[in-house]
Amino acid sequence: MEKKHDNDECLENLWKMKEENQSSMATLKSMMGDDYKPDVVKDLLSKELVALGAEETTITLTPRGEELAKQLIRSHRLAERMVHDVLGGEFEAGACEFEHIANPGLVNSICTLLGHPRECPHGLPIPMGRCCEEARKVAESTVIPVTELKVGQTARVAYINCRNDNRLHKLDNLQVKPSAVIKLHQIYPTIVIECENADIAIDESVARDICVWKPQTGT
Amino acid sequence: MTTKNSFIKKIAVVGRPNTGKSLVFSCLTRKYSMSGNLPFTTLALKRVMCRMNDEAYEIVDTPALNSLYIQSEEEIIVRDLLLSEKPDVIIQCVDANRIKQSLVLTIDLIELGIPMVMSLNAVDETARKGVWIDSERLSHILGIPVVEMVAINGHGVNELKNAVVRARKGRSTIRYGDVIENSISSIVDKMPREMLFRKKIAMLLLQHDSFLTPYLITNCGQKNTDHLIQHTQLQRQNYAGNINLQINSRRDKWIDETVDEVVKKQRILLGGFSRKASRISRHPVFGVPVLLGILYALFFTVVHVANKLALLLNDLCWLPVQNIISKNVTSVFWNDFLIGHYGILTLGLSNAILTVLPILGIFFILFNVLEDSGYIPNLCVLLRRLSSKIGVTGNALLPITLAFGCKTMATLTTMSLRSRKEKFIAVYLIAFGIPCAAQMALNMSILGNMGFTAIAITFSILGLLWITIGMILNLILKNDEKVDFIQELPPMRLPHIKAILKKTFYKLRLFLEEALPIFIGAALLMFTIDRIGLLDMLKNALRPVITGYLGFPLQMVDVLVLLMAKHEAAAGLLIKMVARGELNYVQCIVAVTLTMMFVPCLANIMAMIKEQGVKKALVMILSINCTAIAVAGGLNWFLVHVAGL
Repeated sequence: MEKKHDNDECLENLWKMKEENQSSMATLKSMMGDDYKPDVVKDLLSKELVALGAEETTITLTPRGEELAKQLIRSHRLAERMVHDVLGGEFEAGACEFEHIANPGLVNSICTLLGHPRECPHGLPIPMGRCCEEARKVAESTVIPVTELKVGQTARVAYINCRNDNRLHKLDNLQVKPSAVIKLHQIYPTIVIECENADIAIDESVARDICVWKPQTGT
Repeated sequence: MTTKNSFIKKIAVVGRPNTGKSLVFSCLTRKYSMSGNLPFTTLALKRVMCRMNDEAYEIVDTPALNSLYIQSEEEIIVRDLLLSEKPDVIIQCVDANRIKQSLVLTIDLIELGIPMVMSLNAVDETARKGVWIDSERLSHILGIPVVEMVAINGHGVNELKNAVVRARKGRSTIRYGDVIENSISSIVDKMPREMLFRKKIAMLLLQHDSFLTPYLITNCGQKNTDHLIQHTQLQRQNYAGNINLQINSRRDKWIDETVDEVVKKQRILLGGFSRKASRISRHPVFGVPVLLGILYALFFTVVHVANKLALLLNDLCWLPVQNIISKNVTSVFWNDFLIGHYGILTLGLSNAILTVLPILGIFFILFNVLEDSGYIPNLCVLLRRLSSKIGVTGNALLPITLAFGCKTMATLTTMSLRSRKEKFIAVYLIAFGIPCAAQMALNMSILGNMGFTAIAITFSILGLLWITIGMILNLILKNDEKVDFIQELPPMRLPHIKAILKKTFYKLRLFLEEALPIFIGAALLMFTIDRIGLLDMLKNALRPVITGYLGFPLQMVDVLVLLMAKHEAAAGLLIKMVARGELNYVQCIVAVTLTMMFVPCLANIMAMIKEQGVKKALVMILSINCTAIAVAGGLNWFLVHVAGL
């Protein structure tokens, strides 16, 4: 079990390095610090999950290793999303163990429940699972983008997919933030939402990135 | 004015858009500062010296600032004022209706460490809605004086003046966590010791504020700046996640807790006029009749009230003067000089004061009602779909709509746009074919004599042309970064009559100060070139274009010459020509279309140069004027030969 845990951690770090276009062994060692164990790399090599470059200065994921790392990262970041949005608390402690025990079915269910979020609370991308690709608009999603609300409906913001700091700040200045209550006033010709007593006109692309808890029918 | 004088204390009045900064500034200084229920009313710093509590103060009115993390250029002016001039006191204006949004800025200002006072505005509105804000509790939490105000009536000004003496550095209990706090400290350590506001600047660097670099270069040199940015990047990389998200989440938690503690609401909240009015005005179905109704009201008032007033004033004031002069001044030269066709009294003074001024006065009253009601930003919502077809996706729509008030100011507000393509299109379209309030009033007055259809034809042609030009520019200009459209809409309000009249008075005074010398100068010029025979030569040279291509009588050359000097002067002359029956139906439409398309005033041109540079501005002006003449000729041909008018 402990060996699996170590292998998983190493794969996760290699995924993060891939996101930053890095592949040097030194980076991996510095990222893992005291947790770095040469045996783990050997084990991953024997399972053909990683490949070493010339003179062992670089290390990259093989396609199989990449698939496994993607699942781990996806589970981890989804868990963070859930702990942060559903339980509203600090997420790191609870989430860091989750990916080692969750099975893909459970991860997909959480992903669906949360409306297939694209980013973790840190703002890092959550790799897409099959559920996201197949069912982008599944009926049972509990979290939906503002664009899918009906005019006049009120809903609580679950999270905001923030791809740039500027949008994040603009929305935060208007207090459109997780847990804020917003009301959709009109969609045509421009989307207008109400948040904290203020009416705000927004682009459709911005509205798609504001994800809210789906209101009960009739609200 | 900006130099520090130890005897004169500096107060900066800052706040989010539409929080009553200019009203508070006017209350404190007794100097009028243009205000309105829409963003971008103040675009530059305004400084006034005054005495308060037996001390000398320099009070500075500022454009809107959402937070110290800058998102558009007009905010830089305010942040630079705070960072570089370090005012002694900050008065933060807060709209009591939208207190949470303002607290984002409050945290920033508290972290800056400058003594401050909060002016909590529009408390009458919250009270009517059933919302009560415990300002004493808020003051206790923030550690600064909080003064309840109704700035539009001047209520609470004395309390605010007294509070300035008690201004304190605010208190914040927000902690961002060890990792972020340590990162901030490590950036602070790399800054020169003499630099002001090091902690706040370090935080903004960490938040990746791209507008901070020029300030850093000025204050600690290129080498240190590079070093600081490099070090900050390292800190950001070492943080496992999004620093901004973490900072915002801690601040938002504090804001929520604070507001929960100080804001009490009745169980049943009253929506009132504001909500209903704004919703109807931007409703996809009801919004259109509202817009048409407003346009008709403007037309009716200009044609049936303002025009008649101008005629009445002419009969009452001008005719007696004309009679006296013609009887008493026997010299033909002096008679012509004073009251001849190009006399300085005829074409200069009476044109400005008796023809143009009353029309502008009446129109400004109506337009100011629109401005103060908050209708204009709501109109943007209604027009957005249409405008996206011409490359104006949303952010540029507000500056363009503001051009119906003043084109110069609207051109300057394009500084808030981040997309260069959108900015170019906006500046171009503002200059081309949008009538400013003065043009709209005078053109309506000219066309009104010909009936409503003349107005409908002219504005439809201009609208069509405007959309075509927009679409062409959208097609030929290269796409650049797509910028989010996120626009807060001000609440609609019933305008205060006193505020409307005051604003109209100041706008008219400004017009007279700026335009009267130009009117008289232009009359002098016309008189001179007429006397020396230059005008006749010009008329002869331009005859084929004027009478042939454009189908005008030759006197239109006078209008075109005046057009170069001042649009309103040309319009005044046109009004007189229509009254004398010198222009027929078609000529009237073509004349107004032509003058409306021409790049209007020098101030607008200067603003274009400021925003786009000399080269681009010249290209714009040349192409606009050539298009105007080409279109006017084509229109004349179409109306006469095709439409058979």
